[in-house]
Amino acid sequence: MTTMSRRTFVGSAGMAAAALAGGWPDPARADKPLSFSGWVFKPDTVKDYVTFYNQKHGGQVTYEAIPWAQYHPTMETRAFAGETVDVMYCNHNNRERWYENGLIRSVDDLPGTDELKKKMTPANLDSLKSKDGTKLLGLPYFTSLFILIYNEPMLQQAGIKAPARTWDELVEHCTKLKRDKVSDTPYLPNWNSSPSGTMPQVMTDCFSEGASVFDARNQLIVDQEPGAARAMERAARVFKAELVNPEVLTKTSSTDTHRLFWTGRYAYHTNHSYYLKTIAGEPENSKLAPKKAKMAMYPGTGQTYMWTDSYVVNAKSKVMEDAWKFTRFLGGNLNGDWYVQRQWCLISGLDNPYPEMYNHPEIIQSYDRWIDLKLLREQYKKGKVIAAYKEPWYGEYDTKAVPIVHNMIRGTVSVPKGLKDMVALQKSLA
Amino acid sequence: MAIEPSRTTVPEGIPGSLLPSRPRFAAVRFGEAPFAWLLVLPAVLGVGLVAFFPLLYSLWLSFTDVNLLRMTGPAIELFGLRLPLYRFVGVQNYARVFADPLYWESLGRTVYFVGAFVVEATLVGLGMALVLHERFPGRPIMRSLLLVPWSLSRIVVGLLWIGLLDFEFGALNGVLWNAGLIEQHISFFKHGWGALNVLVSVYMWNQAPFATLLFLAAMQSIAEDLYSAAEVDGAGYWQRFWYVTLPAVRPILFLVLVLCTVNGFLMLDLIYILTMGGPGHETTTVSWLGYQTSFTFFKFGPGTAILYTLTFLCLLLTFIYHRLILARFDPEA
Repeated sequence: MTTMSRRTFVGSAGMAAAALAGGWPDPARADKPLSFSGWVFKPDTVKDYVTFYNQKHGGQVTYEAIPWAQYHPTMETRAFAGETVDVMYCNHNNRERWYENGLIRSVDDLPGTDELKKKMTPANLDSLKSKDGTKLLGLPYFTSLFILIYNEPMLQQAGIKAPARTWDELVEHCTKLKRDKVSDTPYLPNWNSSPSGTMPQVMTDCFSEGASVFDARNQLIVDQEPGAARAMERAARVFKAELVNPEVLTKTSSTDTHRLFWTGRYAYHTNHSYYLKTIAGEPENSKLAPKKAKMAMYPGTGQTYMWTDSYVVNAKSKVMEDAWKFTRFLGGNLNGDWYVQRQWCLISGLDNPYPEMYNHPEIIQSYDRWIDLKLLREQYKKGKVIAAYKEPWYGEYDTKAVPIVHNMIRGTVSVPKGLKDMVALQKSLA
Repeated sequence: MAIEPSRTTVPEGIPGSLLPSRPRFAAVRFGEAPFAWLLVLPAVLGVGLVAFFPLLYSLWLSFTDVNLLRMTGPAIELFGLRLPLYRFVGVQNYARVFADPLYWESLGRTVYFVGAFVVEATLVGLGMALVLHERFPGRPIMRSLLLVPWSLSRIVVGLLWIGLLDFEFGALNGVLWNAGLIEQHISFFKHGWGALNVLVSVYMWNQAPFATLLFLAAMQSIAEDLYSAAEVDGAGYWQRFWYVTLPAVRPILFLVLVLCTVNGFLMLDLIYILTMGGPGHETTTVSWLGYQTSFTFFKFGPGTAILYTLTFLCLLLTFIYHRLILARFDPEA
């Protein structure tokens, strides 16, 4: 029998009392509270990992979720009123603007950045840099790109053996499905009016036709690109042939658009990769789960538009050390287990620019329930980024070009004129 | 304000020194008008702070080059809040707005929207009030149910109507399809003209109950004697309506027209939920354009300039309504 010394007994009793009173002793608490804001996307998940961080790393992070549509103006208004939110979400369109106006700081000089840079794919790293390419403006929240999704049972029902590999095949399949009354509107492109809809979809379709959208000086060149004209002519053609749900143009978000595919009434859908998780992975919502909807390589060149949204650090934060530590927890690998990045992969299928994560058995197993991970990684190799969103005019161009594109699709403006109008719009804003 | 000596009458026979001395402030006397001003001063200050100051500040913004993130330069300091004054650019923002063809297209659409909405909401509101003014079984329940559309948030109203009119899931398409009345689903938002009229009707559905409520209140205050006298004179239903009801509700008609006009000009949330200004620009109104310019493009100078043109239009129409409806109205008649 082992004996216990009085010192050991007193020490053990003290630990036991502390554990009973309030759990295990906390790590050293941060001196000052740290504020963190993001747009509304699964706020309960965010709250969970903020709580995890506060408990495990002794943080005092307070989290606030703001509706997506008002998020960026709200953060600017709060900065304008003198409030400092230490760590924030920032979408790619606003990052440069926030940096140039001194709202956020670059993170190159902060500890651990170089290591994270080495782990990121070069295209995503470029996306996160300042316009001049010299500064890293944040760490990744997630990255995504457009993929082609198809309804396997519907194609089988129509005797179509394999998903379309070319645009001509896709149009042919949709025409047949409509003619055979298998589907009224077989094709569901993401032409909704929001910034995540029409314009990224158009860029994707241009890329898949081998067209460039912007030149090296970030000037719009769609009027000189035959591939862009082909993409828009096809869009107008499928709309005229009523192969597309006409109300997709007035849907207000990509989320609303992808939900239409849950019905199982469409054959093909193009949207952000993570939406396939709800389509093929949530039987409680979607008629195409489990895995009746699948991903195929994007038609044509296979290239699709890819972007990276981020966590950024306020330049005026008074708790910079804590803010950076928390940002690394969110967008990096503070724990050594990619905690937050892994959570987003597992819970929502939100991807990240760290390829090493996709070798992890837990991630492979989770993705296997809703997507062909190997094919998705192949698609990422064809992901194409642009730098034009770093220009100050981009946000306004991106919104004002939507009606021009919709007019081309609806046939109220011819494609050559529409493409010229887009270029004129961009030049008027630059 | 005047400080006057006390005028308290000292009863005869009692030496003034034996009376209890009054505190000096009790002798402070106000004239009636200054006293009234003193009483309303807190309210005036409150309204000034929350209404007039923001109005004036936003008017100022419409003449400046605003960048929300610019922290330097002259500013107003108010209760610890710093309100930058930005660079004055004169009427440049207004000139830019008026030079934009989209503004004029949107204004035309707005005028149509407001006109159609005011007519629909006023007529439907008046019609429902006439029905609910009559006695019939279930009238109290009907009067309560009437308020439901008006009490719903407009986001909810938008979602509700998406549920009814959606091309894919809409209940209306479902009913028509199941009844064999249509061969394919109807798209209510495919064409701009149709989408704009859907917006008018949905907004009318939401707002007409309030007009009904106002008309009903006015109708209930009409003396029954007037109707009896009219009946004795041989007036039928429509004559009683024309010669008794309508003149009596004229002040309320003015109020309804003003409220509907202002609300119509400012309507934004249904566009946000139902169409986002599309397809194309075909449901873009001036309020949506102002919202987009301010909060999507962060151009608060031109954005406030766009929205101030609406303010001016609202004031102009209120003046016209006043001249047309109330100028010759004699409440004693």
